[in-house]
Amino acid sequence: MAFRCRVRTSTLRGVEALPVEVEVDIGPGLPGFAIVGLPDLAVQEARDRVRSAIRSSGFEFPNGRVLVNLAPAPLRKHGTGFDLPIALGILAATSQVPASAIAGSTAVGELSLDGGLRPVSGMLAHALTALAEDLVLAGPGTARLAAALPGLRWRAIERLRDALTPAQAAPAAPPSQAIPPNVADLAEVAGQELAKRTLLIAAAGGHNLLMVGPPGAGKTMLARRLPGILPELSAEERIETALVHSVAGLDDQAALGGIRPFRAPHHAASIAGLVGGGSPPKPGEVSLAHHGVLFLDELPEFGPAALQALRQPLEDGWVALVRADGRIRFPASFGLVAAANPCPCGFFGDQGRACSCTPAVRSRYIGRIGGPLLDRIDLCVRVDRVAPDEILDPPIGTDSQAARSRVNGARSFAAAAGRPPASALSGAALVSACRLSPMATNALERIARTYHLSGRGITRTLRVARTIADLEACTAVKVEHLTEAATFRGEEVLG
Amino acid sequence: MNARFQLPIDDPRYPAHLRFTPEPPKVLYGIGDPSCLVPGIAVIGARNATPYGLSAAALFAGWAADAGYLVISGGAVGCDQAAHFAARDAGATTVAVLGCGADVDYPSNAVSLLADIRRTGVVVSELPWGAPPQRWAFRRRNRIIAGLSAGVLVVEASLPSGTFSTADYALDAGREVLAVPGSVFAPECAGSNRLIRQGATPVTDASEFALELERLLGRPRSEVTTEHPSPLVEGGSDIASALIANPMRPDDIARAFGLDIVAVARRLGVLESQGRIARYPDGRYGVAKVTSSDGARKRTIREDSDG
Repeated sequence: MAFRCRVRTSTLRGVEALPVEVEVDIGPGLPGFAIVGLPDLAVQEARDRVRSAIRSSGFEFPNGRVLVNLAPAPLRKHGTGFDLPIALGILAATSQVPASAIAGSTAVGELSLDGGLRPVSGMLAHALTALAEDLVLAGPGTARLAAALPGLRWRAIERLRDALTPAQAAPAAPPSQAIPPNVADLAEVAGQELAKRTLLIAAAGGHNLLMVGPPGAGKTMLARRLPGILPELSAEERIETALVHSVAGLDDQAALGGIRPFRAPHHAASIAGLVGGGSPPKPGEVSLAHHGVLFLDELPEFGPAALQALRQPLEDGWVALVRADGRIRFPASFGLVAAANPCPCGFFGDQGRACSCTPAVRSRYIGRIGGPLLDRIDLCVRVDRVAPDEILDPPIGTDSQAARSRVNGARSFAAAAGRPPASALSGAALVSACRLSPMATNALERIARTYHLSGRGITRTLRVARTIADLEACTAVKVEHLTEAATFRGEEVLG
Repeated sequence: MNARFQLPIDDPRYPAHLRFTPEPPKVLYGIGDPSCLVPGIAVIGARNATPYGLSAAALFAGWAADAGYLVISGGAVGCDQAAHFAARDAGATTVAVLGCGADVDYPSNAVSLLADIRRTGVVVSELPWGAPPQRWAFRRRNRIIAGLSAGVLVVEASLPSGTFSTADYALDAGREVLAVPGSVFAPECAGSNRLIRQGATPVTDASEFALELERLLGRPRSEVTTEHPSPLVEGGSDIASALIANPMRPDDIARAFGLDIVAVARRLGVLESQGRIARYPDGRYGVAKVTSSDGARKRTIREDSDG
């Protein structure tokens, strides 16, 4: 006599969880346990974990030929999340748990040998699929997800024996824990008024930013404060960001709590680490910085191939990884903050230490960054070390709270005018958004001539000027906005 | 001209004033017209030059060239090239002394400048044809710059500086050392200011420079009346006048004047787009590069060339 059962689950592909059906067939014959349907090694190893977990949970492992098929068969199955559905399938097929325990639900979870369950990476993606398919998500740590995803029906299975208890009827969303505000505050930065102003503009207009200055000037410290002055993540953005972190196996609590990610990969990071890769494909740093800040310190030290790989995400807001079995897209819409030393020794222009680089060496160093990347950086600012007496002064500047409310004000002013943040504008849309008076047009022409601005340089100046005008709630971009915007050009700093 | 020449030390065309310096080059290789190698004024300075140094080099070299004196320099990036350019643009001959073979184009940004000098002036070196640029050779060539000149004008030098070796060689060869003073706050000028303290003749305007040149090199071939160019319009803002004395970072300006950084950035933007101040490569703002307009120097050829 044959015992059959089907359990629903899902497997990760990119940031999506695709529905998979686990079919269990227990037939007569020599005792055995086989899994078919393109499982990877981790799925194959489920056999031993499932066998042990079933036994140590007080159930009986069937003494027959167990065949597990993962459908659809052509889809590659990765990871340890299949442990729970396979175990539930075996238990239901042998009537050790009631069929109601698996009906209308989708199960994901990794078993330990003692019958306990561990959450797997990408639980949030599995939860979204459950929500979309209108199924109950059964697995470990589901209560936490329910708090973030209103409408998600869930069932906590922290041990395999929990499958015996009937499914909860009403999912009670636990109260969301308050996230400790561990974001660094702008008020802690002594001096650096120009750099702080640049951060404010970058946050208000969504501009990419390059800081040039000697080591120890505080470039990293400033960059860390950008997420704190960006607007809080919207509900949708929280899910999108947390999804990438969840799929990468990282903590998604901060993103779900509305904190924008700050990622600072080292310049020795591989290209796969930066933009994503591996098998199965995992999101890279650019995707982990989705809706947050990607900080690239020592930008000229990054390899040319790595810098080249940044172009697609900077332009499109996502990364496509093309593989033999198809194309996977990871979201990667981030604010870029780059920092560079002015020269290889780092001290060109420093007040305290002499630079030992020749002009040729200096321009070659900065030249490594490359034009295509610089074209996407609207703001460039020189950051120098602050004098010791200034560091000891009590901080007088604006704090992150005040800065954020100005950023919100600028963004809602732009939104009210039906415009995206200025960094997304170009061409005719940008020109019409600026509403230049004849006087301002003259000023722009003079600025372009004085500084030998290229077409792209003019575009960058206009974008920044538009954001400055937004910060002051001005419908039209005025001459003073343009003159200030022109001081953030990168042309000379970059040799 | 573009003719190559190779002058052994006993060649009658070998410049006599160079022959009687300590350690004259055994052979002088060059491209151009060797008869140009009369005593002249060397205008030298830092490679990492500020607009102030570049302006001073261009001003004084241009003035000397207009007056008919030979301008000698090292062809290097920064002050040296500014001096050569000013002399070339004045239509005068100029001499570049290289630390590599005289036929080698180094530094690479000077290709067209060197080509012009080989055509209208002379490029010389003590190194054989095709010798690649080497660090030690540049310090050694400084003694040739000093030897070919009657006086050496240092427009901008920091501490320590390779320019100092030229001054030392000039003293060894009994040449006059002149220096352009700079701000007491500017590290870029610390070297040239120290030279003045050690006894170099300060050069603060064109008429003073003219007297020095006349003393060293005889009367000028052409009379040049000079108005000293003023970089900043008087009655301007206090920010602009503060920057003449000392280049500053925007944050320092805001602190010094008790102004908001936004106001400072906008004021700097206005002053800069008017060409009154400039942003230096190190992010500070200071005096803009002064390009003396054609009206600033009036040139009349002297009829009584008795000098």
